[in-house]
Amino acid sequence: MPVPATMIDGSLRAVADPTRRAILRLVRDREVPAGEIAAHFPAISRPAVSQHLRVLADAGLVAVRPDGNRRLYRWRREGLRDAAAFVEEMWSDRLALLKQAAEREEWPTRTRAARRRAPTETET
Amino acid sequence: MSDVEPSVVEQTVRIHARPETVWRYWTDPARMCDWWGAAADLDPQPGGTCVVEMGGGGVMRGQYVELVPHERIVFTFGWDPHADAPDIAPGSTVVEVTLTADGDDTILALRHTGLPPAAAAEHRAGWSHFLALLAAVTREDTTA
Repeated sequence: MPVPATMIDGSLRAVADPTRRAILRLVRDREVPAGEIAAHFPAISRPAVSQHLRVLADAGLVAVRPDGNRRLYRWRREGLRDAAAFVEEMWSDRLALLKQAAEREEWPTRTRAARRRAPTETET
Repeated sequence: MSDVEPSVVEQTVRIHARPETVWRYWTDPARMCDWWGAAADLDPQPGGTCVVEMGGGGVMRGQYVELVPHERIVFTFGWDPHADAPDIAPGSTVVEVTLTADGDDTILALRHTGLPPAAAAEHRAGWSHFLALLAAVTREDTTA
């Protein structure tokens, strides 16, 4: 049985990590340069912090704005998906599985049968 | 005619199976669990229960409204409150599924109406539980 994965979306996955949650708190109320964000995490390498920022940006949770040679990050509240987008994605995933299941039931040996059956054969 | 109007989701899928087969995937609990939930409690008659439990703990709670065998199913749709599901109260939205035979295939058309508009959803769905999640995390992080 497939594991229903539609309940978890990208934004929630992005905040599953404690460092990324800490970054979000930093950029919640103001734009913060990448360097200043990294300075808050002395135990984490710069590339690792950049990677976390990339995950947050990919999930649409932070916005990035270049400012000279700096990059400024800020929480992007409109990145949160609305209910319609959630439902749209859910139906599209689920209906694809319904299609597979119904076709498997109706044509359990579809490929083999299609090869063997004469095209004019009818079922009674 | 603005942002406050409820959203509609519409999808159509062609299935290489007869409508009566597809129908069973909306009315038979075992088959419902082949594609949607981890468990289902279905009583396919008008007013009957249509509850689908997701593996992660979310529960879709609805009621069948209309059933025309092999042709049309209408049910209400909502989630029990859950961190990972949007805030859509049971009874607040409606799903209409229409099955139309086309040769050996079925055209399944789904229309989900009454969804909270994007503007409201920012407060009601993602935003509110996102903030709740962050608040919880903040508390957790500062209790040291």
